[in-house]
Amino acid sequence: MKNNTLLKQSLKRTLSKNKLLVAGMALAILASAIAALLPPLVLERAVNLLTLEKAIPLLLALGYFLAILLSDVMESLQNTAITIFGQKITHGIRSTLCEKLSLLPADYFHTHKSGAIASIFTNDGDAIDVLYSDGVVSMLADCLKLVAILAVIFSRSIGLGLLIAVILPLLFFFTRWCRRRMNSAQLDNRRAIAKVNNHVPETLRCLRMIRTFHAEKFMEDSYDESIKESYDAVDRSNFIDSIYSPVILLTQAAVTAVMMVLAAKGAAFRAFFGLSVGSAVAMIAYISQIFSPLENIGMEIQNIQAAAAALQHINEFLGEEEWKPAVEMAGGEGNVEGAESIGIVEKNIAKESILEKAKDNATANTLHDKDLKSKLNAGDVATSDDVNASMDPLTASVETVYSTVMKNRTDAASFYHVTFGYEHGSPVLQDLSFSVKEGENVTFAGRTGAGKTTIFRLLIGLYQPDQGLVLLDGKDPCMLEPKQRRSLYGCVEQDFHIVAGTVGDQVTLYDPYPEEEIRKALAITGMEETIAHLPQGLDTTMDEKLFSKGQLQLLSISRAIISNPKILLLDEITANLDSETEAKVIRALQESAKGRTVISISHRLSESIGRTRVIEIG
Amino acid sequence: MEKTHRLLSHPDRISTYFKTQVPVLSVVTVSGLIYNIGMAAGPFFEGKLAQCLYDILKGKATFHDMLLLAISYVFVIFVVQLMRAVKRFGVRRFANNISRSMRRALYNSLVHAGQGELEKENLGSLLTKAISDVDACAEGMRKFTTEIFDTGVVMVVYLAMLLHYDWRLTILACLFVPFAYLAAGKLKANVTTANAAYKQSASSLNGLTMDRVGNAVTYRIFGREKERGEAYEKALTDYEHKSAIANLYESALGPLYDAVAMAGAVLILYFGARNVAGTGWTSWNIAAFTTFLACFTKLAVKASHAAKLFNAVQKASVSWKRIQPLMKEPKEDQLQVCSIPVKEASLSFQDVSCGWNTPDMLRHISFSASPGEIIGITGEVASGKTMLGRVLTGEVPYEGKIILGGKEFRQITEEEKLCSITYMGHDPQLLSTTIAGNVALGEPVDVEEAIKAASLEKDLADMHRTKDDLAGTGGSMLSGGQQARLALARAFAHARSILVLDDPFASVDKKTESEILKTMRRKFPDRVVLLISHRLSHFPEFDHVLYLHDGTSTFATHTQMTEREPGYRKLFEGQAASGRQTVDGQKPRDPGMVDAQKPRDPEPAEGLGNGKPGTPGDPVKAKTKTPGDPVKAKTKTPGGQVKGGGCDEK
Repeated sequence: MKNNTLLKQSLKRTLSKNKLLVAGMALAILASAIAALLPPLVLERAVNLLTLEKAIPLLLALGYFLAILLSDVMESLQNTAITIFGQKITHGIRSTLCEKLSLLPADYFHTHKSGAIASIFTNDGDAIDVLYSDGVVSMLADCLKLVAILAVIFSRSIGLGLLIAVILPLLFFFTRWCRRRMNSAQLDNRRAIAKVNNHVPETLRCLRMIRTFHAEKFMEDSYDESIKESYDAVDRSNFIDSIYSPVILLTQAAVTAVMMVLAAKGAAFRAFFGLSVGSAVAMIAYISQIFSPLENIGMEIQNIQAAAAALQHINEFLGEEEWKPAVEMAGGEGNVEGAESIGIVEKNIAKESILEKAKDNATANTLHDKDLKSKLNAGDVATSDDVNASMDPLTASVETVYSTVMKNRTDAASFYHVTFGYEHGSPVLQDLSFSVKEGENVTFAGRTGAGKTTIFRLLIGLYQPDQGLVLLDGKDPCMLEPKQRRSLYGCVEQDFHIVAGTVGDQVTLYDPYPEEEIRKALAITGMEETIAHLPQGLDTTMDEKLFSKGQLQLLSISRAIISNPKILLLDEITANLDSETEAKVIRALQESAKGRTVISISHRLSESIGRTRVIEIG
Repeated sequence: MEKTHRLLSHPDRISTYFKTQVPVLSVVTVSGLIYNIGMAAGPFFEGKLAQCLYDILKGKATFHDMLLLAISYVFVIFVVQLMRAVKRFGVRRFANNISRSMRRALYNSLVHAGQGELEKENLGSLLTKAISDVDACAEGMRKFTTEIFDTGVVMVVYLAMLLHYDWRLTILACLFVPFAYLAAGKLKANVTTANAAYKQSASSLNGLTMDRVGNAVTYRIFGREKERGEAYEKALTDYEHKSAIANLYESALGPLYDAVAMAGAVLILYFGARNVAGTGWTSWNIAAFTTFLACFTKLAVKASHAAKLFNAVQKASVSWKRIQPLMKEPKEDQLQVCSIPVKEASLSFQDVSCGWNTPDMLRHISFSASPGEIIGITGEVASGKTMLGRVLTGEVPYEGKIILGGKEFRQITEEEKLCSITYMGHDPQLLSTTIAGNVALGEPVDVEEAIKAASLEKDLADMHRTKDDLAGTGGSMLSGGQQARLALARAFAHARSILVLDDPFASVDKKTESEILKTMRRKFPDRVVLLISHRLSHFPEFDHVLYLHDGTSTFATHTQMTEREPGYRKLFEGQAASGRQTVDGQKPRDPGMVDAQKPRDPEPAEGLGNGKPGTPGDPVKAKTKTPGDPVKAKTKTPGGQVKGGGCDEK
């Protein structure tokens, strides 16, 4: 599966980039497991010395202190290494997610809520962090710790080792059972809490009804009912929480007691349970240590389970189909010239018949392609008519279109027999053709839903037509290099999209324009002064509240024209502007339109710019 | 646990909550004390066990002694741990009870606040915030209670025990504990800075995520995707670094505390051994030695947690300060409207002026209605229909005289108003509870009959639902028309002497409308019905019509009205002629509903739906209006010839 490989690739990349960290982490985990064994061992020595009625040398006392310190430090190091590792993994996954964003079709953004997409980055990304740091790796570390302690216990007392080996699985199942019970209680609680939380906005929304129907008491009672539901669920979870730790500690005490009794039993058991007093003290310490990794493992299993949903979200997102506007026959150039363009025309306009023809007459086709290319390279467009004459009628129709395309190559924008729909079988545009000359001022008119915005989306290459050809300045807009876009067209979107950053960034979109040009672009829309009055001018952090709706529209125009584009595209401005602001917007547009081709779907505004040609849609 | 929690008086005093929780708190106190004193039993018995083993090996004790000791050890631990469980559970229940009481108190002031009051002081959002503060507050009180025992009491017990064993060594060993605090205090400043930097970075990463995702299309249009990707990558790296640093400081804190505190252990080992050997300050056996060491270790750990106690108190007090001013004395009334019989009443407006803020938008409104009459109220959009209805809910100020059941409206008490007026707004205001719950609102009314009267019965059957199924948030499980009828059913179930129905049939088809009207006439032969509507097909059957226009109104029968008011006649005839449903007929009103069936694209295919898709002879026209510029697209492309390849084959 493709999606899985993307995720795996990201993991592999992260691992191979951070080999040192992974090695360090493994070392820290190992060191921490061993260091944890030390303090009881030193203690054993000390107590054994005592039983021999000897004094404890200061060095041993210091050794005990150092052993504790070492185990603490190692534990911390291990945790830090695991945290950093988890962060690296999430970093890698988030990078992969972000790369994916640029590969998705625009349609994805039009059909998915941005909040939901962002939550894949944030919430699901965090869940992946937990999966690796507090899940898989920590579990390994805890298992190792468990095994290390067990090994030491076995080395001192096989009987105690066996005793613990029997009890551990029991306690493990008890831990899992508790976790599951708590988990289900917490789920119930979350559901109830959602109800409790929902109740307050609902009350605010229905306040009139509540008052006119005298339903205050009812609302209070049902609020309390939801709280009670949550209360009961929390009670269940609290009960488990309250008994879990006591049960574990009681078990510890019982194991300790059994160990001591058997150690004291005498010769029969001594082979199995024989302990020096020092070992006994050390064993008591180990017994108290061995259950905490067990408890952790229970939690870690749950963390891993909880991350499954997040993993699925990420996989789904990474598996989304990518936007591949590449017209196979057109190569990657984005210029409608030579053989590529005839390819586009063939593919889109008379696909099947031409392709069949091409099969029959492969050599001829290649020949004529080459022919055309050379002619075009020579800049002799008119002669393409000669080519038509030599072709049979079916191909000729394509050729006719092609020749038209070639003739109007200098047009700012054109549609040739474009059919397009967002969903298969329900086209929004059908066989639409038009052409906009350079320097023209054109408005699309038509009722809502006729497809005006769709025309815009096709013109800037957010979508590809199902059939037909879209050209912007003689190029396939889908094939435009990102860098070409801004110099070719400027787009005033329906709503102004505020980007993160400063006021200046709103205009530049982080393109490093010199300040002078930013000022110029602002001066054209009359925003220069407004911004000069801000506390830090262009460097003021952007906040929606700084500007009125109309001023945001003006910023949007500045953003579109800062790159001095050939073509200005004006989407319908949705904001309701008061007449004074509208006058400002119109003045800004008049200024901006100078020397540019203007294509708009806002009749009201475009008319004010000057002489307009109206293209009726639908 | 009582079924519904009772409201507390003086909810603005913290002592109120502690007082009601006295039973729980006493259980917590007793079990907490036993547990925490018993905590010392662990180390004590473990020392004894080691000593006993020593004695057995030396031949000074018997197996029987060990058995007895082991059994008592397990028993004591059992009791101690049982107490611990009781204490833990008790403390949590205490917190939950408090949280419940506080929520109740806040909700009570929310639900009883007037509409105006809520809007004026932004009280709605304040209360919403306060309710989310409750948990923090209760959690703080829980932690405080817990820490008093787990830190405070335990430390005292351990210290007492240590002092009992060897006071000189105790003082000596504990000398290091303050150092732990000093060192930690120094480190803490760094931890705080690193944490702040981390949080800052996290929030800026979050902002950038939202920006990259939310503006994805904008960045694509302007060709800035790559650069934004790079910026995001930079933020990710920054976030990773900041989190690593913060984590490093945070995790350095633990070992530091322990290390400095445990420095005392060196002294204990050294001097303790001398005690055992009989050359120290006091004489110890091995039991005393191990107990002392274990106790000290636990004390050192507890000491490092002591700061938690103060943190908990501080956090709780911050949220309490936010909540406290909003805590009002609870309001309760026992009025049950449906148990009071409906009294017939007539209604008349005499030269009434009204308006949203000042009574100046509608003037000289006069009409009267007797029991059993239906008055149709209509007018152009924004003529003040809804406002007129809201005069009777008390939300719209008025001048002039309104006589309800023989009394001036101003002089009528709230209770009487509730008992005589039923208002249904054009916004259905449904609750997310069950369908039946929405109708009954907790009162013993005949739900089934009301549902039948609102012609909702068949809808439910068709959807395979019953009245006990949920209506969804804001009624999102129902269509717009069903929502409106559910609101109508609610109004029917609670109908008093005057029914004000604001646009009840907006999303209801004509046949159902007629049915409902018929049922209404039969069901309420003795009520006054003011029916506000912009759909006039049934107005001829109504007893009178109040037509709002030009800031005033005309009151007449339908026939008279068509003769006298050309505006009304035009409205009526226009609707009769079109015979169609009004536009908003089919639209689901609820946003949730819209989401569920949201058209895939902001520009749905309706453009083509009307344009007969796949009709080759009628392509989307592209004609121009500028004279002198012929239909360009058509002339330049010989569409007829090309079509063969394109659309025709579909």
